[in-house]
Amino acid sequence: MHRQLAILPVLVPLVAALIQPILALASPAAAWPIAVAAAAVTTVLATIALAAVLTGGTIRYPLGGWEPPWGIEVVLDPLSGFTVMVLAAVATASLLAGGPQARAYGAREPIYYALALIVLTGLIGMVVSGDLFNVFVFLELSSIASYALVGSGGGRALAAAFRYVILGTMGASFYLLGVGFLYAVTGTLNMADLAARVPDVSGSSLYLGGVVLIAIGLALKMGLFPLHWWLPDVYTYAPSPVASLLAPIATKAAAYMVARILLYVLRPVEAVGLPVGTILAWAGGLSILFGGILAIRQTDARRLLAYSSVGQVGYIGVGLGLANDAALVGAYLHILNHALLKAALFIAVGATALHVGFRTGGLGRGMPVTATVAVVAGLSAVGVPPAGGFFSKWYLLQGTLEARQPLLTVVILLGSLLAVAYMYRLTETVWRGQSAVPRVTPEAQPAVLISLVVLAFAIVAAGVGNTAIVSHVLTAAVPSAR
Amino acid sequence: MNYPYWAAIALLMLGLYTMIAQANYFKKFIGMTIFQSAIILFFLLTSVKRDATLPVVATPGTPSAAMMNPLPHALMLTAIVVAVATAGVAFAILVRLYATYGSLEEGVIAARVTAEPHEP
Amino acid sequence: MSELVLAGLLVLLGALALVAVSAADLLIAAIALGAYGFALALVWAALGAPDVSFTEAVVGAGATTVFFLAALLRTSRRRSNVPNPQRLVALGAVLAVGLVLLVATRQLPLWGDVGAPPSTHVSPRYLERTLEETLTPNAVTAVVADYRSYDTLIETLVIFTGGLAGWLLLARPR
Repeated sequence: MHRQLAILPVLVPLVAALIQPILALASPAAAWPIAVAAAAVTTVLATIALAAVLTGGTIRYPLGGWEPPWGIEVVLDPLSGFTVMVLAAVATASLLAGGPQARAYGAREPIYYALALIVLTGLIGMVVSGDLFNVFVFLELSSIASYALVGSGGGRALAAAFRYVILGTMGASFYLLGVGFLYAVTGTLNMADLAARVPDVSGSSLYLGGVVLIAIGLALKMGLFPLHWWLPDVYTYAPSPVASLLAPIATKAAAYMVARILLYVLRPVEAVGLPVGTILAWAGGLSILFGGILAIRQTDARRLLAYSSVGQVGYIGVGLGLANDAALVGAYLHILNHALLKAALFIAVGATALHVGFRTGGLGRGMPVTATVAVVAGLSAVGVPPAGGFFSKWYLLQGTLEARQPLLTVVILLGSLLAVAYMYRLTETVWRGQSAVPRVTPEAQPAVLISLVVLAFAIVAAGVGNTAIVSHVLTAAVPSAR
Repeated sequence: MNYPYWAAIALLMLGLYTMIAQANYFKKFIGMTIFQSAIILFFLLTSVKRDATLPVVATPGTPSAAMMNPLPHALMLTAIVVAVATAGVAFAILVRLYATYGSLEEGVIAARVTAEPHEP
Repeated sequence: MSELVLAGLLVLLGALALVAVSAADLLIAAIALGAYGFALALVWAALGAPDVSFTEAVVGAGATTVFFLAALLRTSRRRSNVPNPQRLVALGAVLAVGLVLLVATRQLPLWGDVGAPPSTHVSPRYLERTLEETLTPNAVTAVVADYRSYDTLIETLVIFTGGLAGWLLLARPR
């Protein structure tokens, strides 16, 4: 049973997704509860798994009993366990909050939930996988489901979805070609085996080509500047429940893959001194500035959040690029914090109106709870204690000082200033502003409120408990801990 | 000479260019297909062994150097299937896109999208 | 397998790709893409990969062409000839990528080398032990259905997802 903990978080959403079409015929009303229950069970399993890993060491589960590198293995270590828990928990909140609006799918509601659960299966499967090609298959699994979910919004969402298909496939294909190069020079796909062979092959141009291609492919999926162009339209026009599901978790899973493959498997900085880390950190810095500046200029609330996401992912990029212990802890902590705050914001905006133009602000005047949660999430985005975002930025700042990159220190601080500007604008205009039309949205439905309140508590808990998270989980997750 | 690899790179570049530069969405799809096939060609080229036969063990005890490497074959089976699933979703989106906007050209759709009223 | 045959097939491949990419009538482009898929199947067979060849023929050439034609029937055969302003950016990006690839592949093992890492590490076991461990003479089947069956599980889930996507996007609401 202990070893199975590694694979169960992948299987539970998978099976739940398979059940959904049956429900479509038999009992459509059960689709939502079953989806939320499946995600909740996955969260519980992921938490138990993480605890098991922290006490008992890394869990490796070779599927079918075939030892790697001939078979595929699933690996649960502190970092992957932590990421799976974050993905599952935030997905549960999103699925719960998306319920009322998912009714709009009518008879196809269970299909929506099936695809949403497949997205979750894909992301979790990707994170726990110990085989480079297996990562590709799971990545494409979650991507294909995402394309369909985004496209289900009709109208502008279709154009956004097609661009997402083209760019997403480009990214995944670059990743696959990179894996092909590494395979050509090492003969293996297993991460641990590959990591052991890196010293022998790091002089080869194929190794360098593999590193570059994989980095480009994953950076595109992560939404790091300048490979982010699919992101704004997709997050703006996708149906609200879809955006609330994808925005918090899809880019984080890609960020995890960047960390895992570049810092633990390929280690190009260590092996050949390639300035991959510097490029990554600067792409992150540019993301922070670009995302922040563009967010301020938006008049559509969801598009503002989309550019904010580009900016916030930049923080993770900076942390992964600098790669010293403090920076990595900051990056990993930000995976948690950003997932929580983005979910809360997308859900809050979605509950207020599908697209809230600032010309018709003040729609949210009748939603005190939603407004409060949005403010808490905004504080986390800016980096105000005790919200969690403050602590991830604190560690990142320490990381920039340790790496002697004062310019990046300035960029991180600038990012917070920009965030103050756009978060204030968002919360003031949507939930407090003058309304040009007499209507006011009533307070959100119970399911949505529960999600929002839990997320708000989690945001604060992540802040207050950050030392516990860092000392018990993240310190064990950094490469130097092995 | 490694000329087959150059063919793969050439096809990849053609596919990539088509994906970005062509305005018609069907053409972008064609570019995507060629792009993906170039990657499959690359993988399969790494599986070739000179004077080797199919990776089927007809007589037990055949040395492995006499048979092609089965691992890339298996991987590419999966890659082809993934590509066709992507194609399916892409076409579904295109059909709905045409039904909504009456065109599948990037510029035309962008113009019709900005022209449509979009108020909350 | 004659190198001449392979070289000829690669040239055919290039020609069909160019037709598919440049044809003004989308129906011609679709058929050309189908022919391209068939030529690919021949190339895979020439490279000693019959399983991949069957799959490409049925799925790549067959199913994709059918989907393409079905989509064309419900949309339009025509495409405009307005030149896309992104052409130059595209050219730049593609040349950059091509350069990276040419540089990176300089140190590729010679094509067909029996001593190259993919042929010596991991894969020999599949060929040497498939009969005793999986009772299957076809090593590719053994890898797909046994050694790496987890990939195949997810691959079938991908097809299922494609079907769900079609249902979600195309089903007429009652």
